[in-house]
Amino acid sequence: MGSGFDFKVSVMWESVPLLLTGMKLTILITVMGLLVGFILGTVFGLMKISRSLFMRKLGGFYVESIRGTPLMVQVMFIYFGLPLAIGMRVPPMLAGVAAIGVNSGAYIAEIVRGAFQSIERGQTEAGRSIGLTHLQTLYYVIWPQALKRMIPALGNQFIISLKDTSLLVVVGVGELTRTGQEIIAGNFRAFEVWLTVAIMYFAMTMSIAKVLNILERKLEI
Amino acid sequence: MIEIRNLYKRFGDLEVLKGIDLNVSSGEVTVIMGPSGSGKSTLLRCINRLEEITSGAVIVDGYDVMDPATNINFIRTEAGMVFQQFNLFPHMTALGNVTLGPTKVRKMNRAEAEALGRELLDKVGLRDKADVYPDHLSGGQKQRVAIARSLALKPKVMLFDEPTSALDPELVGEVLEVMKQLGREGMTMVVVTHEMGFAREVADRVIFMDEGVIIEENTPAEIFSNPRHERTQGFLSKVI
Ligand SMILES: Nc1ncnc2c1ncn2[C@@H]1O[C@H](COP(=O)(O)OP(=O)(O)OP(=O)(O)O)[C@@H](O)[C@H]1O
Ligand SMILES: [Mg+2]
Repeated sequence: MGSGFDFKVSVMWESVPLLLTGMKLTILITVMGLLVGFILGTVFGLMKISRSLFMRKLGGFYVESIRGTPLMVQVMFIYFGLPLAIGMRVPPMLAGVAAIGVNSGAYIAEIVRGAFQSIERGQTEAGRSIGLTHLQTLYYVIWPQALKRMIPALGNQFIISLKDTSLLVVVGVGELTRTGQEIIAGNFRAFEVWLTVAIMYFAMTMSIAKVLNILERKLEI
Repeated sequence: MIEIRNLYKRFGDLEVLKGIDLNVSSGEVTVIMGPSGSGKSTLLRCINRLEEITSGAVIVDGYDVMDPATNINFIRTEAGMVFQQFNLFPHMTALGNVTLGPTKVRKMNRAEAEALGRELLDKVGLRDKADVYPDHLSGGQKQRVAIARSLALKPKVMLFDEPTSALDPELVGEVLEVMKQLGREGMTMVVVTHEMGFAREVADRVIFMDEGVIIEENTPAEIFSNPRHERTQGFLSKVI
């Protein structure tokens, strides 16, 4: 009896079309999730530097509780736990976007907080001294500068969140990892298919890193 | 124009201003001198409420800055401030820096604001730098843009906090020249500086501060040639 293992490149090629549809979904979930995460991150990040102690505590609670629990548990909670409490099913796609959004939001909140705090105090003072309100100063003076400083860290979070979507396999939304699993269930070619899946993830993360690199050079960060 | 009565300012346990009384009338140029840590910046920053005063009163153009009914953003357009570190907005061009206040605070339309901005940049000798970002300006040019940015709100008073001390010596003159011009035009100014030449030429009065109190005040000619207080004498002998 031989080992029975014979590597077939053709299996890899055959799995590509289906995997590509999974990849599209992976990108879609990542982008939508990060959009949610960016909004949450901005709101909670600003809360963390608010002058109100209550706001700071609330922001801190969100960030710490998300960063202090595994993403897998968060996904399970949103998809399997929450429906019992609210009395209706959460569609897999929505659960996926929500999980990525809520999770990345906590990390982005820290990115936002750090970027805002890194802007010199003199900028706020200059804004206020020409009569801008606190909010106008944040919006016209601090935000554009902070956003630029956030770009490297946000790009990094993009890559992390993209890889994180593979945990959504438990929800059964047909993203890349789930699609790979389903193909293997039919052809039992785990080696070739997982290798292809890995290459696809790698291609995506590398592309993001590349684009980020160009962007950083252009903006002279 | 500015009326300061028995002003006290404390940071925690540290008492920085200890009963300052000062009146600045319209059109007057007042220079404040004094050793480091004597509270000069703090005094200036109490005038436009970048610092909250601990007790006493600060009245700018008839408005009590600590009165909750006073719109503090309005006071800040009345009393423009120029900082030692310029604090230009690095993501905006020179013109963008100057027009931000007029468009967002004064609600001027863009064309009007830009016309005003160019006029002011011209006034500070930077007509050709309108579209340049602060990173590409020298220190002296940055400070002149900062002055134009304040002037764009048509303030009644200008507060200067050591506007030339972060500059290379050869760039000090161009900034002082702009300030002298303002003084000659009748702008009310309160200037923290150790530039004696400037004080001699345009100041109506020099105030000497030490340890949170005003020790001596007089005309520049009088205070420089004939300082009465020994701490003033000691300080001036070091500066000259
Ligand atoms: N925000 C603050 N918190 C605590 N202490 C402060 C603060 N701002 C200023 N001080 C202290 O108040 C004192 C006076 O400071 P201030 O900046 O007014 O002095 P200054 O006369 O402008 O000095 P310099 O010539 O060095 O600019 C200093 O001892 C300073 O450390
Ligand atoms: Mg100072």
